[in-house]
Amino acid sequence: MFSRWNWVACGFCLLLNICSLEGGLVQSCGHIIPESPVLALGSNFTALCILNESCLDFGNIYASQIIWKIKNRVVPKEQYREINRTVSSVTFNDTSSLATPLTCNILADGQFEQNIYGITITVGLPPEKPKNLSCIVHQLSQLTYPMTCTWNPGRHTFLDTQFRLKYRWARESFPDCIPTDVNNSCTIPDIHFFVNLEIWVEAANALGKAESDPLVLDPIDIVKPLSPHNLSVNSGILPTVLKLSWENRISDPVMKLKFNIRYRIAGDTNWMEVPPEDTASPRTSFSVQGLRPYTEYVFSIRCMKEDGVGYWSDWSEEKTGITTEDKPSKGPPLWRIIDACHSAAFWTVHLIWKALKPYEANGVILQYELTVRDKSSLSSPLEKFNVTSTNLTLQLPNGTYEVTVIARNSAGASPPSVLLIPASNSKAPVKNLRTLPKYDKLWVGWTAPNSYVLKYVIEWCLVSSRSDCIIEWQTALGDVQGIDLKGIKPFKCYLITVYPLYADGQGSGQSVKAYLKQDRPSKGPTVQTKKVGKAEAVLTWNHLTVDEQNGFIRNYTILYKTIDGNETVVTVDPSKTEYTLSSLTSDTLYTVRMMASTDNGSRSGPDFTFTTQKFGKGEIEAIVVPVCLAFLLIVLLAVLFCFNKRDLIKKHIWPMVPDPSKSNIAQWSPQVPAKHNFSSKDQMYPEGSFTDVSVVEIEADDKKSFSEQDLKPFDLLKKEKSTSEGHSSGIGGSSCMSSPRQSVSDSDDGETTQNTSSTVQYSTVVLNGYRDQTPVQVFSRSESTQPLLDSEERSEDHTGEGDSTAERQQYFRQNGGQDETNADRPCFERTKQITHANEGDLVGFVQLQIAGQSSQPLGLGMEKNTQEAALSNVLQASTEGQTVRPETVEENPLSVDEMPKSYLPQTVRQGGYMPQ
Amino acid sequence: GDSWGIFTFLCAALCNLPALPALNCSEELGTSQSIQQTYDLTRYLEHQLRTLAGTYLNYLGPPFNEPDFNPPRLARAERVPSATVDLDLWRGLTDNARLAANYRAYSRLLCYLRVLDGQVGTAELRHRLAHFCASLQGLVLSIGGVMSSLGYPLPAGPPAPPGAPPASNDFLKKMDDFWLLKELQTWLWRSAKDFNRLKKKVPPAVVTLRLEARGF
Repeated sequence: MFSRWNWVACGFCLLLNICSLEGGLVQSCGHIIPESPVLALGSNFTALCILNESCLDFGNIYASQIIWKIKNRVVPKEQYREINRTVSSVTFNDTSSLATPLTCNILADGQFEQNIYGITITVGLPPEKPKNLSCIVHQLSQLTYPMTCTWNPGRHTFLDTQFRLKYRWARESFPDCIPTDVNNSCTIPDIHFFVNLEIWVEAANALGKAESDPLVLDPIDIVKPLSPHNLSVNSGILPTVLKLSWENRISDPVMKLKFNIRYRIAGDTNWMEVPPEDTASPRTSFSVQGLRPYTEYVFSIRCMKEDGVGYWSDWSEEKTGITTEDKPSKGPPLWRIIDACHSAAFWTVHLIWKALKPYEANGVILQYELTVRDKSSLSSPLEKFNVTSTNLTLQLPNGTYEVTVIARNSAGASPPSVLLIPASNSKAPVKNLRTLPKYDKLWVGWTAPNSYVLKYVIEWCLVSSRSDCIIEWQTALGDVQGIDLKGIKPFKCYLITVYPLYADGQGSGQSVKAYLKQDRPSKGPTVQTKKVGKAEAVLTWNHLTVDEQNGFIRNYTILYKTIDGNETVVTVDPSKTEYTLSSLTSDTLYTVRMMASTDNGSRSGPDFTFTTQKFGKGEIEAIVVPVCLAFLLIVLLAVLFCFNKRDLIKKHIWPMVPDPSKSNIAQWSPQVPAKHNFSSKDQMYPEGSFTDVSVVEIEADDKKSFSEQDLKPFDLLKKEKSTSEGHSSGIGGSSCMSSPRQSVSDSDDGETTQNTSSTVQYSTVVLNGYRDQTPVQVFSRSESTQPLLDSEERSEDHTGEGDSTAERQQYFRQNGGQDETNADRPCFERTKQITHANEGDLVGFVQLQIAGQSSQPLGLGMEKNTQEAALSNVLQASTEGQTVRPETVEENPLSVDEMPKSYLPQTVRQGGYMPQ
Repeated sequence: GDSWGIFTFLCAALCNLPALPALNCSEELGTSQSIQQTYDLTRYLEHQLRTLAGTYLNYLGPPFNEPDFNPPRLARAERVPSATVDLDLWRGLTDNARLAANYRAYSRLLCYLRVLDGQVGTAELRHRLAHFCASLQGLVLSIGGVMSSLGYPLPAGPPAPPGAPPASNDFLKKMDDFWLLKELQTWLWRSAKDFNRLKKKVPPAVVTLRLEARGF
């Protein structure tokens, strides 16, 4: 549908065109005036669309049907005006709303829009008046002087705008200069001097034309000449003069020139200038004066019109020249170092002097000439030295010397430098020596002594633990009271010494240590404990080396804390290397570290931990000694008690043993009478016979039955005993020390223990005796064992048990069981063997018994061959010795009386202990 | 009373000074300046001609480029205005007459020079000749300017160059060129003297007064 309408429209369009073709080759149905207008931005504009009469008839179209369009946008109808049947106008109040193309269209049949005509519209601005016109004549060669003029072209016009530089003489014009590529400058290739030229700029475009204000000038007044060339520098006769010569590239009739000459020392960046008034006239050479001898200078020159109208040329290329040598202006600064290790009579003097600075040397120093004069003796000759280095070491006898040094170059010799080396630095030193850092320099100041000082020598050196102090030095005039030291490194310690030099001697040096800049120490001190107590610890540390300090150590700070406690801080004087921490908690882990502080910060050393002691010094002693003493006292008291109450004790623990000889059993043996003599130490009854008693009883065979019945309750005891020692030691262990005490303490608890010990003794003795010696009378001894005593006291108990032969047998069986290996023979036979034993054997036995317990004399055992004596010995040897003997002897008869009754039960009881 | 009167008068006089001389002198200053400028220009042209003549005579070749070449002035060369007037006679002329003579001479010389310009073969020489011609044109204008500023009437426009027949042969033509350059040199030399003299005549005192007045 839509496409069909398009086709129809196109066909109509074709018709219209054909129609126009018929009217003429280029005739269309209408046209717009003006054709392709150029409009000023912001102005108003009216266009007319005029229809051709011919088309009116054909297409039946009229001006009222005209539609104006800008690009594809229809212009509002309000801006249209139908002037007559064929003409329609459109008016725009502001051209800025316009765009290209503006078309005139017609609405044919009220439906189809047909383009009639279109125009291109250009909108722009008229040129502004060019401003700031200025010109300069650049000299390009000796005869080429193009003039370049520049101006401000003003605002952008959006149109093609032509700029023309116009110039003319009063009555003659020149062709315009038309700029290429730019719109703000133009160069006139050839210019004529000395005739006033009027110059202006004309800007023109489709909308108008504008001219700048004219510039009237003589081009000679705006010349920037070429700089002089072929500059050459020649040294003159004088060492302070250099002569410059050059060529000008502008001839004198054209322009008279004045000049600027600048120069600098080679390597320096600051230019100096020859006073302009000296070079204000035309010339081609100039002598620069007041230069330093033997110095390389760089020169450069420029020129301009003499009257100062115009422009300076560029600076010429630089040329260098060197002034000739001159005598050194001053003597080299001189100083000495006298070796500290000089002998009494001779000095090693190092004379040192500084090479002159280039501006002082005024040339190449060929040599130094030194003279040394001994002032103390007038007759001594002048010593002369010519050296090329800057030091000289001399061995001189002690004295006062005057040293002079002269520097010589090819132009001559310097004035002499004189140094007086006095025998001693006895004069007044400087006062109030101090330092102050100033940026990268260290200022050293002092207060002058009262007397007149010729000059000062300032020595300084870097103090380091790694290297020696290499002395640097410099001199200062006598009227100054401070200098700046250069080349001082920050964070390093310097030792600075100032010596005043007088006309007749030298003051002693005053020293000060200084830092240019301080930093915090490079490490902290390592702290250690020297001694740790209960509440205090002695800390010790080493000073930081001077290289580590980086500044003056103002203080040390000790920081210590327990693991969970607060840190405690102590500040310590920097001169100390030891400090005692007090009020510490005992037996506590402390962490301590140490910080060294300079003015600029501090640094901590490594942590160190220590633990305080649990007890203070002497505390253990204070506890242990009284305890020991108390223990000893108790022992003593116990012993005394035992001694005092021995009767009682004896009664309870060691009751009287009945005399076997008086026993009824004695009657069983034919040797009874012999036993009566046992107290008289009859050899027939040695101690071995006592042991035999037990042995005799160990006849019973039924060991099993015994162990089943009676042994059980004593199992624990048995074990203890059996683990403790062999039989012989059992005797010892139960003797003296242990047995009595045990008896005392155990007596209250029950008889079992007492009995045990006593019984053990017996039984053990018997056993040993049995093995080593030949038993004699078995029966008699067996009746005298302790069970008898028990039977006295506990008659009722024994009676209850006494009848049991089986028990008795068990007991013996037990005893015998221990000796099973060698107890093949009946015990009776063995006891008999004892009687045959020689006396030596017996003695050996006694010894054996006693050896572990005391130093009882051998003779004691010898005297007491009776069993009682042996017993008492065993019991009390360590405490009482022989004094016990009479009593034991006396006791025997007592027990003898009661013996028969208790014999059997006794064996039963003994059986309970025998398992040992 | 009298002293007050005198003081007031002096004050008034001084107050008026800046205005009056400045107005009167602007013309004087312009003249002085243009005389100086014209003098500079003659010196500049002299300088230019010196190099130009050397180059051109070399271009003409021997014997014209020989330093002691001094040919007799031919009758046909008379059309070139001659500066060979007696110096005293020349000095006896008025400024106006001298300026007018200069003006006329340079106008004529310029015409011949432009003819010369068209014949020169080398571009470099032609360029320099053109430059010289332009400068000489400037001189004519300057002299005119000086004359008008001094209130002298400008002489009538240069008469049409006499229709002298062009030199029959090359040598004669070269001779013409030689004499043209030689006369130019003489004229420029004498003009420089003229303007120097004229420069001194126009009192610099006026300038001084003006400066003083400004300073006041």
